[in-house]
Amino acid sequence: MSTCEVIRESLGAWLDGELSGAAADTVRSHLQTCLACGQERRQLEKLDITLKSVLEAQTIPFHAESIWHALRQRIETKRPWYVEVAAWTGPVLRSPSFAWGVPAVIVLLLGTIYLDSILPGWNSGSPRDNFAAVESIDAYGRNVALLREYETKTTVIWLYQNPDSESEASGETSNKGPAF
Amino acid sequence: MAEVSDWALVEKCQAGDMSAFQELISRYQQKIYMVILGLLRNREDTLEVAQEAFFRAYRKINSFQGGSSFYTWLYRIAVNVAIDAQRRQKRNPLEFRESMDGIMEERNEVAKDPSADVHDKELRAKLNQAINELSPDHRAVIVLRTLEGLSYKEIGETLGCSEGTVMSRLHYARKKLQEKLRAFL
Amino acid sequence: MKLAIKALLFNFCLWWAAMPSLEAADKSFQSVEITIKTISASKQGNEFDPQLAALEKQLKALNYGSYRLLKQETQTARWQGNANFQIPGGRMLTVRPQEVNNDQLGLRVQLKQGDKPQLETTVRLNNRGNFILGGPRHDNGVLVLSISATAR
Repeated sequence: MSTCEVIRESLGAWLDGELSGAAADTVRSHLQTCLACGQERRQLEKLDITLKSVLEAQTIPFHAESIWHALRQRIETKRPWYVEVAAWTGPVLRSPSFAWGVPAVIVLLLGTIYLDSILPGWNSGSPRDNFAAVESIDAYGRNVALLREYETKTTVIWLYQNPDSESEASGETSNKGPAF
Repeated sequence: MAEVSDWALVEKCQAGDMSAFQELISRYQQKIYMVILGLLRNREDTLEVAQEAFFRAYRKINSFQGGSSFYTWLYRIAVNVAIDAQRRQKRNPLEFRESMDGIMEERNEVAKDPSADVHDKELRAKLNQAINELSPDHRAVIVLRTLEGLSYKEIGETLGCSEGTVMSRLHYARKKLQEKLRAFL
Repeated sequence: MKLAIKALLFNFCLWWAAMPSLEAADKSFQSVEITIKTISASKQGNEFDPQLAALEKQLKALNYGSYRLLKQETQTARWQGNANFQIPGGRMLTVRPQEVNNDQLGLRVQLKQGDKPQLETTVRLNNRGNFILGGPRHDNGVLVLSISATAR
């Protein structure tokens, strides 16, 4: 980029008084020596004056009373709930972010389904209620205990061996079952 | 009698005082109207959009915490509503509504400016057309800078963009206008 | 920025609202996967088999000294079908999935030694949950069976 191109990029900001310090000095001193950029400056100034005059030509008396009356009526009228919801969601649905959000939701849902298939219970957290309900039990004459371990939320069915059990003999004292 | 500050009026309005809101609107309605007119280029849409802007300002008044000046906050709402309206304009904006050309003709007649020569009239007409061809974002920076004299910082706050973006949009808009008016400038 | 946050929130609500439907949509369980971990528990020693890490808290609550995984077996059974598991000591554990209701499985469980039934029980447990059946003698300790079921 040539010096003149760089200066012309900043000319508008300099005319607007938005440049300061070294940047402003650079533009000022260049304009003192460069005829082409000086011409560009004059064109910009003329454009600015004409622009201002065109825009100011719009100065038309603004009759505020009628707008205030309509505005007041609108403020005082309570909108139905569905209009409020529509007003809130309208910009959301028109928002470009919403367009990205829809595929993101689809991806999230698919990811959840996939995770569920490879890691069942991944979303069950810990500890969830793991207690099993025992609806019926028949130990065929043996002693049986139904126990609930609260720390781990686990149901334990404990089958006590009869003293004259035909099972493996062992040196172990009789099975007293879990200590809890 | 000292004028009540904008912030004092906002607080009254947040407490439910409708007259405080009316006073706030009356302070800035002309400026807001002019900005919207500069963006939309026709009177009927401007009245409708101005009303919508004031209505939204009322709805959001509780969210104004004084982080910026009230008029910057109000400008921001008005410019956003106007830019949305511009983007929704599908039809040629000057055909079926009272155009800016018509308003300018009326203005010139009222002003009885005898020195307005043919060249000048042509330049204004061309410039008017060139402004209409700018995008909503570029038109907004031109109007806020030229008509309202806002600084780049204030324009950035109003439009929700950086000063660098304001500078680049202004540069682009002026370049476009210059290209279209090369023969006249 | 606020609009982007609103849009994300809106989409998050859509996802969150869809989650129960996901579960509801998955109600066509075709079969049940049953896993039996056969564990030897003894008051001698204090070794804990690292393969039983997932059941550590449950098993240690039984207050035995050492725990060793003898066997782990998984079978798939259709509803009202039987899954038979060989258990040390000439025993057989039969598990029959009976029904599923509100993500809870109903199982009929029978333990036999040879051809003699030792225990028969009907249990309702959470899908992907487990319960413990213990007590039968084995070596110098007892057998502990972790019975878990997952409907698919």
